Amino acid sequence: MGNRYVDMGLSAPVNVTWEVTYACNLSCVHCLSDAGARRTQELDTAACKSMLDILARYKVFQLSIGGGEPFVRPDFLELIDHAHRQGIVTCISTNGTLITAEVARRLAHPLVYLQVSLDGATPAANDAIRGQGSFVQAIRAIENLRRHDIEVSINTVLTRLSFPELDQLVALAAGFGAKLRVSRFRPSGRGKQAWSDLNLSPSQLAAFSQWLSRHLEVSTGDSFFSVSTEERRSLGLNMCGACKLTCCIAPTGAVYPCAFLQEPEFQAGRLPHDDFGQIWHDSPVFASFRQLEIKSCERCYRFDLCHGGCPAVAYHTQRRLGLPDPECLVNCIRVRGPAAPTALEYQHVAGTSLP
Amino acid sequence: MNAEKKYVLPAGVQVRQEKFGLLFYNYRGPRLYFVPTGDLLPCSFFTGQQTVRDWAAAAAWRYKTSPERLLTRVLKLLALLEAKGLVHG
Repeated sequence: MGNRYVDMGLSAPVNVTWEVTYACNLSCVHCLSDAGARRTQELDTAACKSMLDILARYKVFQLSIGGGEPFVRPDFLELIDHAHRQGIVTCISTNGTLITAEVARRLAHPLVYLQVSLDGATPAANDAIRGQGSFVQAIRAIENLRRHDIEVSINTVLTRLSFPELDQLVALAAGFGAKLRVSRFRPSGRGKQAWSDLNLSPSQLAAFSQWLSRHLEVSTGDSFFSVSTEERRSLGLNMCGACKLTCCIAPTGAVYPCAFLQEPEFQAGRLPHDDFGQIWHDSPVFASFRQLEIKSCERCYRFDLCHGGCPAVAYHTQRRLGLPDPECLVNCIRVRGPAAPTALEYQHVAGTSLP
Repeated sequence: MNAEKKYVLPAGVQVRQEKFGLLFYNYRGPRLYFVPTGDLLPCSFFTGQQTVRDWAAAAAWRYKTSPERLLTRVLKLLALLEAKGLVHG
């Protein structure tokens, strides 16, 4: 990843996370958006299309669409058609419950990519988080999508329930000709309440880091650079991409640095009314985010691999930006206690970036 | 490489101008390519309207160089981009 080019400042994000609605027909206990009912002030169809026109003008390459459940919106297919007509790639995160055979047929398009959420390889683990019957519905959705040769990945949020089933999830995905994508659990939305119950312990996170380095075929949506090892360096970002490569648009059109920082203090503007170029280049929120430096991490041997980790996790756990990610690999290894890493493990983790 | 070719972006590839040069996005992945070309080649070159030779002949004055030198430089760059699957002629 060309960090020095990114640091020069891009003309626009390459990817925008767009949460199209707060409405959802499930009530996952870890939902980052606290989704449920549709909320007032969500953008209507015309406003969404205006917003897509703006993003196309700025040559945003890709939309990562989530919610809420995007397919709850009656106009959702119309909206992604509008994006595709302008050449924007859409990566849609869905719980799969509304992906019927007919919807799957309708979705078949070269610019569409689906991520179906499964938070375990078994109904027991998955349904404990996502609700009764959600496992079976997600599997049916994947079958429908694959029948139309649509590119699919299984998206799993890493929790204490999904962690023991990661190998099974890899196999499950492979059985469908799909990839596994593991996302980081963050304490935003309803995740704040579920954090202490579901978040991995430091030793589990350290073990996960080793697991990831053995499974280079598993993608992470760039959410685990805080714990990923040298082996994965070429697979994605080694820093937070918020306000540099990406940003988030909420269902109301409010623009934030990322989906996990949808707090009033981080709102940089609102689309389609505000000038997107001004938001991206000149908003004080984005400007300060780009200048964020995790000074206390700069002498760490892993700094080149993570640049201080995820600011959102640091913010939600410590209520302040500019602090290190408390769950970085160094911290995880440090608090692992009696089973401290051997010299060999340290070498493995640090790769060639040991001072 | 053939100077008589016209170049276009394959399906799923997009490009935009940035301060450092061209930023390519390939849907099939790996997704992003940062190509530090400065202002050597504009994105409009990849619409396939001109051969490389015609483009170099018309653009050389802007770069204060000869069409031949510009042509050599651009053909080298296009060979690299084509090898990565980002353009085809």
